[in-house]
Amino acid sequence: MLTLLGIRHHGPGSARSVLAALERLQPDCLLVEGPPEANHLLPLLAEADTRPPIAILLYRPEAPQQAAFYPLAEFSPEWQAIRWALACRVPVRWIDLEQTGQLSARQEPPAGEARPKEDNPASPPSEDLFSLLARAAGYADGEHWWERFIEHRRETGSDVFTGILELMSALRANTERTHTPAPLDLAREAAMRTHIRAAQREGFRNIAVVCGAWHAPALLHLESEAEDQNVLTNFLSASASSPRPPDHATTQPRDRATTRLPDYPTTRPRDHPANPVSATIIPWTYDRLAQRSGYRAGIPAPGWYEHLWENQTSLVERWMVKAAHLLRAEDLPISPGHAIEAARLAEALAALRGYPLPGLAELEEALQAVFCFGEDAPLRLIRERLVIGQRMGQVPASAPATPLQRDLNAAQKRLRLQPSAASELLDLDLRKPLQRERSQLLHRLNLLGIPWGRLHAARGAKGTFHELWQIEWQPEFSVRLIEASILGNTVREAALHRLEGEAARAAELPALTHLVESALLAELPESIPPLMARVQALTAVSSDLPHLMGALPPLFSVIRYGSVRQTETGLVRRIVEELLLRICIGLPTGCSALEEEAAREMSQHIREVHRSLSLLFDSTESARAENHQPQRLAWLHALRRLAEQETTPGLLRGLACRLLYDAGSAEDEEIRQWMSRALSPGTPAMHAAAWLEGFLHSGGQALIHTPALWQMLDAWVSTLSETAFLAALPLLRRAFSAFPPAERRQLGERLRHSGQIHPAPGQPALHPLRAQKALALINRILGEPAR
Amino acid sequence: MTTLLREHAEQQFAEELEALAQTDTHRRPPNWKLSPWAVTTYLLGGTLENGFTITPKYIGSRRLIEIAVATLATDHALLLLGVPGTAKTWVSEHLAAAISGDSTLLVQGTAGTSEETLRYGWNYALLLAEGPSERALVPSPILRAMREGKLARVEELTRIPADVQDTLITILSEKTLPIPELEMEVQAVKGFNVIATANNRDKGVNELSSALRRRFNTVVLPLPATLEEEVEIVRTRAAALGRALELPAEPPALEEIRRIVTIFRELRAGLTADGKTRLKTPSGTLSTAEAISVVNSGQALAAHFGDGRLRAADIAAGLVGAVIQDPIQDKIAWQEYLETVVKEREGWKDLYRACKEISE
Repeated sequence: MLTLLGIRHHGPGSARSVLAALERLQPDCLLVEGPPEANHLLPLLAEADTRPPIAILLYRPEAPQQAAFYPLAEFSPEWQAIRWALACRVPVRWIDLEQTGQLSARQEPPAGEARPKEDNPASPPSEDLFSLLARAAGYADGEHWWERFIEHRRETGSDVFTGILELMSALRANTERTHTPAPLDLAREAAMRTHIRAAQREGFRNIAVVCGAWHAPALLHLESEAEDQNVLTNFLSASASSPRPPDHATTQPRDRATTRLPDYPTTRPRDHPANPVSATIIPWTYDRLAQRSGYRAGIPAPGWYEHLWENQTSLVERWMVKAAHLLRAEDLPISPGHAIEAARLAEALAALRGYPLPGLAELEEALQAVFCFGEDAPLRLIRERLVIGQRMGQVPASAPATPLQRDLNAAQKRLRLQPSAASELLDLDLRKPLQRERSQLLHRLNLLGIPWGRLHAARGAKGTFHELWQIEWQPEFSVRLIEASILGNTVREAALHRLEGEAARAAELPALTHLVESALLAELPESIPPLMARVQALTAVSSDLPHLMGALPPLFSVIRYGSVRQTETGLVRRIVEELLLRICIGLPTGCSALEEEAAREMSQHIREVHRSLSLLFDSTESARAENHQPQRLAWLHALRRLAEQETTPGLLRGLACRLLYDAGSAEDEEIRQWMSRALSPGTPAMHAAAWLEGFLHSGGQALIHTPALWQMLDAWVSTLSETAFLAALPLLRRAFSAFPPAERRQLGERLRHSGQIHPAPGQPALHPLRAQKALALINRILGEPAR
Repeated sequence: MTTLLREHAEQQFAEELEALAQTDTHRRPPNWKLSPWAVTTYLLGGTLENGFTITPKYIGSRRLIEIAVATLATDHALLLLGVPGTAKTWVSEHLAAAISGDSTLLVQGTAGTSEETLRYGWNYALLLAEGPSERALVPSPILRAMREGKLARVEELTRIPADVQDTLITILSEKTLPIPELEMEVQAVKGFNVIATANNRDKGVNELSSALRRRFNTVVLPLPATLEEEVEIVRTRAAALGRALELPAEPPALEEIRRIVTIFRELRAGLTADGKTRLKTPSGTLSTAEAISVVNSGQALAAHFGDGRLRAADIAAGLVGAVIQDPIQDKIAWQEYLETVVKEREGWKDLYRACKEISE
């Protein structure tokens, strides 16, 4: 006897019906649509520490980025059927078309967008028919219809599968009149039939087959064995010779952009027997199972399906209580009264729409009206935590190593860096390729949350070419490595995806710029553009000036060092300019009425921005050529506003004056005026002292080496009357007290020479001829042609 | 032909309500004139089985109207939230007209709304003459709705002082209104419910207490979904208002309206229309209603001081005034918007210059 159980992948109602049918049938053999290459892994699924969601992963050991995933959740009919069979010691095997050839045949990435194919009951050609059916029954689309009639079923007594088989037969008959079925579908069905025949030949009498509902009718006709062989051979040879049809390009989570996880796999010829496919199981998450991560046979609401699976009765009430608990944990005052009201509203809505039971849509609308007071934010939380859910699976320790583990092992071997529990100090010279690669690996592992090495601050003496790492392997890293397998099959790929995920989550600029730095250190240049897009989005809405200014210096360093590390700097440059514009607009208001602490912090930021700006825009000729003057002017303009604005704290006004002076953007006369105004008796003493401190922020050296500055200060002091001088004396003393003693002594020496600008005593006057000789040598050292 | 300036919804659409009542075979909740299904059809429009056409009263999401009607079918009250100009009052009037056949049981919330307006007052002459009696009692619209099993409407709920708002709690949870002076109470008849409207972005409102909030299901009415929809609303309303004010100006050019609406929508959304640039959102509402007033004041300027054609300079003043409500934060947002978006946009140079002139 052969029983076909047509299901929808990950349908809880299907799962329930399948279990009931298996109990009733007591088959002596169970065949499941799935990858035969992973048959040897089936016993692992029965182990106590295997907890769904998990995924069967098929990959090529020598090119692990080429892989296919078969996710299984608690409520997947396949999972339940396999567990049932393993518990009852019934032979079970997977019977889909083999992946082996398909993965190996793909040597190069597919051209064009990889489009995973659909594999729920509403397969492409039937989609329209399903919609017709659904509309006839009063539903918006086929998905909804299936959900209501099959997945929401509570009673399992009647034989739903006979009905499904009839329905699908009718639909298929209709479709096949107008559409030619895809060769791939035909081949997969032929393969499944072949497997069924094999099982029959082995002598099994009562075979149950769990497969996608769409395929069920095709598996009824087992007569024409020769034709199936024909179909398979034709398909395999056709796909071997012709380029991959884009429709079937599925299995490569690409290096960049969102991982598009593949759907149930397609098959390629077995013409590369030398390149076998390896299989393992890895933990999976509900988030990955959900459609929004691009996995098409995925389901929009794993959390909701789990709820459907776990609860037989009071679905609506339990869901509302779950939501209430969730929101309460977030400090939103949701009472049982709310839950009651939401349940009633959901039921009223369902009644209004003529449904027997509220579906997810009604529940969400009721939650929004009652729990969230019409707002979106709590609803988003409910969607993320409840509708999609955050469950992560677990695999037994005996599962074969994941490609990520193998990739790391290979890298460790190549880089001669063996994991050891002993703590060890590692000094890496980044100019040597091997050591640089080691640093890269450690940085990437850090990104993956595997802090094998901890970076010490670079030691001053050795400069930026050296990194000092403390390395120590800890046992839990292996577990984290398995968890990270979801992110990618190589360390590089996984780190990239982690970085993208973090970037999407980062809500504050400093966190994001930190990620930019990590990306640079881990040498993942392709992550820079998406990171920059996030930076741009955040800077636009951020009104926190220190954050904005703090974000600038790391970005400047991307521009400065980016070319060395092959980063696209044009994009960064544009964002830096935009950021700068925002800073310039916000600076005058952002600096007004700051208290001392905040002013000090701000002065640090202003100096850093100014320094980065001059490094980038003033020093290089190319920068001038690229017309960065507008940015420079805007910045100087903002500084001028700062210097003139009455509400700016003295420290920042002084600083702004000085920066303007150094940039040559203010007349000496102007500076003198600002200075005397700031230091005149009308100004509160504290303010004046702060002004002077800001003005002389760079220490005494500038006064010693910039005669004009010295004269200016000197001239101002000279204009003071005796009383005014006595009043100003404490301020001056305070400002000068911060200078090192040696500088103060030098300044004193100078004053003794009646303020004249002479070289300090002990320094001989310049001798032109002698200097010429030295200059020639200096030029040679600097690599310039001697003049 | 009526001589009334404005008819109630149930008068204006009497024919449609009648036609719906005749064909309506769905179950009606107690004291409802129509079934929930028919009420939804009345608001969203449609064609009846006998070919009669119902005009749409509300253009927008079907979902929202369904939630609103379903709420009224339970005994929970309905709170319609939204910025000005999102048809809150309009929807509540039509809901009351369709469900109770009476949209006149209305309390307008203001800062001066007292408890008497929500509960009951007294005819003081009678009170003095006869002492407390039912004859001397002046019922509020809510009290009347309770007695007759109809819908009562409270407009601008959040403008009512918080302590007065809380009068509603007993009415909504116990469905009863005690009158201690007469040692009696009025218990609501089936069919009674309350629709309140409130503005969710205005400053200076009285937030609902959580006890009261719990008695309401909230439906947020959104701003127009697309640029074209909003441009159309602004165009028709501005033209109508322009006629009413008898401005000697040409009807505003569609292009100018489109620019204003674009600016409003972009600032409101914090994102440019092409989705490429994030923007700071100013504190003001920037509702469709405000866009209409910007166009109107621009038209007045053009009519009286310009050549009668609405130009960039005419709208700049109104625009800056509408956007900059908070003199510091909004100014930053506006300047960033001017410099990063308006300045760069093809054909917007005139607007940039006009705005720059005023903003500096």
